[in-house]
Amino acid sequence: MTSLIEMQKVTKHYRGVPALREVDFSLEKGEIHALLGENGAGKSTLTKIMAGVIEATSGKMLYRGAEKNYSTPFQALSDGIAMVFQETSLVPSMTVAQNIYLGKENFLNRLRGIYISAQQFLQSLNFTVDPTATVASLGAAKRQMVEIARAVHHKAEVIIFDEPTATLTPEEKRHFFALMKRLKKSGVSIIFITHALEEALAQADRITILRDGELVATGPVSKFDRDTVVRAMVGRALSNEIYNTTRSAAQIRRLGKKILSVQDISMGNSVRNNSFSIFEKQITGVFGLIGSGRTETFKIVAGIYKRDFLRGGDIELDGKLVRYLVPSEAVRDGIIYVTEDRKLEGFFETMSIAENFYSGLLASGLEKSSVINFQEMRELSAEWSERLNVKAINDNARVIELSGGNQQKVVIGKALIQRPRLVIFDEPTRGVDVGAIAEIHQFINKLADEGLAVVVISSYLPEIMNLSDRILVCRQGRIVEEITPLEATEEKIMYAAVH
Amino acid sequence: MILDPLLDLLRGKAVTIPPMDGALRPNTMLDDADILKSCEEPDNIMSVAEKLVHSSGRDIFAMNSGKPIASFESDITALAVNPSGIIAVGLNAGGIVFQKGKIPPLDGFNCPTTLAFDGAEDLYICNGSDTHSANEWAADLMLKNSGGSLWHVSLASGERRCLAKNLSFPYGLVVDASNGRVIVSEAWRHRLVSIPVQGGMPKPVLAKLAGYPARITRKTSGGFILCLFAPRNRLIEFVLQEDDYRNAMLGEIDSRYWIAPSLSASRSFLEPLQNGGVKTMGIHKPWSPSRSYGLIVELDSNFLPVTSYHSRANGTRHGITSAIEHEGGIIATSRGGNLILRVTPEAGQA
Repeated sequence: MTSLIEMQKVTKHYRGVPALREVDFSLEKGEIHALLGENGAGKSTLTKIMAGVIEATSGKMLYRGAEKNYSTPFQALSDGIAMVFQETSLVPSMTVAQNIYLGKENFLNRLRGIYISAQQFLQSLNFTVDPTATVASLGAAKRQMVEIARAVHHKAEVIIFDEPTATLTPEEKRHFFALMKRLKKSGVSIIFITHALEEALAQADRITILRDGELVATGPVSKFDRDTVVRAMVGRALSNEIYNTTRSAAQIRRLGKKILSVQDISMGNSVRNNSFSIFEKQITGVFGLIGSGRTETFKIVAGIYKRDFLRGGDIELDGKLVRYLVPSEAVRDGIIYVTEDRKLEGFFETMSIAENFYSGLLASGLEKSSVINFQEMRELSAEWSERLNVKAINDNARVIELSGGNQQKVVIGKALIQRPRLVIFDEPTRGVDVGAIAEIHQFINKLADEGLAVVVISSYLPEIMNLSDRILVCRQGRIVEEITPLEATEEKIMYAAVH
Repeated sequence: MILDPLLDLLRGKAVTIPPMDGALRPNTMLDDADILKSCEEPDNIMSVAEKLVHSSGRDIFAMNSGKPIASFESDITALAVNPSGIIAVGLNAGGIVFQKGKIPPLDGFNCPTTLAFDGAEDLYICNGSDTHSANEWAADLMLKNSGGSLWHVSLASGERRCLAKNLSFPYGLVVDASNGRVIVSEAWRHRLVSIPVQGGMPKPVLAKLAGYPARITRKTSGGFILCLFAPRNRLIEFVLQEDDYRNAMLGEIDSRYWIAPSLSASRSFLEPLQNGGVKTMGIHKPWSPSRSYGLIVELDSNFLPVTSYHSRANGTRHGITSAIEHEGGIIATSRGGNLILRVTPEAGQA
């Protein structure tokens, strides 16, 4: 039987650096094929070649037995290959319905008609997204839903999902997996890139693992378990290092001095009378479903959003009331927010690693010189690249060219250069491979050990349970429960987040 | 922001209370604690020659006996013992008297709330208010008085010195002689302050507490045990901002039904705060707003909260006014619950 897609000895070089080396890959009709690997392993590169986003340097791609060499995504889509990107490719100023129908419009279109059919289509997928809302107004999870809906709507024969579940809630994930099964039943083949290994093991029929641009293992899912997958991905067993959720009382840090006291802050409907404290020398984990107001709450703390003008509550830093008009005031007071949306808010993608690090210093007001000091920039970049183990050709590499994990390290470094006292990490390991997750976790732990107050917002329960010294659960715009890691179970945290 | 005080006039000052989280995370440790004794409004507890004694109304009792070892003509508001076994007793009618020894009574203290000896002859006294007696504390709060003071009396010479004035109902004190200071809990300002033993300006060591602090005692391990006799809540804080309403309330309503902190949850239908958020389907919500609460906080040697023990809104062991460390546990008096309790710290939360 010939495979639906067959990649033969595919190689791709970026500026002479190999991202893929003679990789073979095959996709059968009606199968779910998980593609796994660390950041920078070449997963996205391989799938982007299939979807016509980039062209291979050498090698062959066969689709239904015929050799293909797509030069645009539109050509691939016309042939029935759609890709749902990790960083969404929607048009922000257009509505959800317009984005779904983009490229499939009739000669004459009635907006109302598009909205009605988009509504019906989204409902059939169990996605609760308003078709009339502009994409710019949606959060990351809902954008991802629209992206998925768009691919399904194009009736593609092959759909490539790049990290589709990273932004989804557990409930939404269940809907998504049910949708994948439905698509599979109707004969659609799916390539599923994920960092959540349990999802791959539970949902896929076959697994292919890449490491450093080379094929390491491929085979039916029954041949793999979590440990063999991790070993193949990183060349060593990391599983227990990253998510060792059983911790003793001695491993949990004691409370330090209260640094931040948030009292009854409100912001419209998204944050409602929220009160909590943050302490030095420990990691406070904040869990909540998408839309629970956790990001908004901490963006208020960091001066990015404004709380209600009338009775918006109080925020006390070291016992003194603060109300920031712009984030730079918070940065100067030592409050840093490391964003969940690194591409949009985290870095300047066309600037180099060194320039990004230096921009952190400039924003903090710590740089006294009014002229850019290139020597200092280089030294700063070398120091932080080493501290965070940023892997790049050199510090002149543009951040957009780095893998997700290394981009995240740049964002973290750029923030920490500002010498914070309170660091708020929002989804610090979203879209980051297991190797980089371990490094980022280690770094976050080190910050708390050094005496900083650290907040980690995460939707991934094992991460929250593994990192936190105290866990706050957010629901409907307020902290509803505080749980110690010793008594925390996934069920208990989820119950507090939902009920 | 520099304009905030002006803008607050337009937008109304938010009524906010520090959250009970971190080391103050609510639990049911006080409700689950062992009962050592039931008696009417036990107040101040202390250890005399390794044996526990406590005050209750006008009497002083030994822990293991229902028979008073001393009785007075007025309610007892404070107790302290010196190394020679002389017991100083503060009275609601005013003044301080001494059990054993031939020390003359000390007058001029109309509201002795707490006493502490440093050695045999140096006595420190907190006078809670210059206008109200100790049992009229709610009125003192509602009138927003700050007429409390800290005194040092030398029993040898009879000399008395005022170390600090204008304190807002000082209710607890512990002498930190090695650092040359006295730590005082200022109830109406929700804080602990440090005052030099020579006298001087109070300096906060722990501020913005979620309740009204009462007595504080030292632990053998170096930390402190702080009692908070009532919680702060938004309604009471709001009433404290509304002068006309508060004056009318003080003038017209029986003090039992004031919107003011309380030592016990009386569960009377006449009591305020009966509505909506308090009960659901007959169940009293533990997190509902409440006028009374039970709370003991363990502090480390830098006055940072480490652990706490709670009796929440649905509990009854409220109005904790005194607690001491004894034989590896904490013995506390629940004035609102009419109980003396023993809490085992090992079971406390981190």
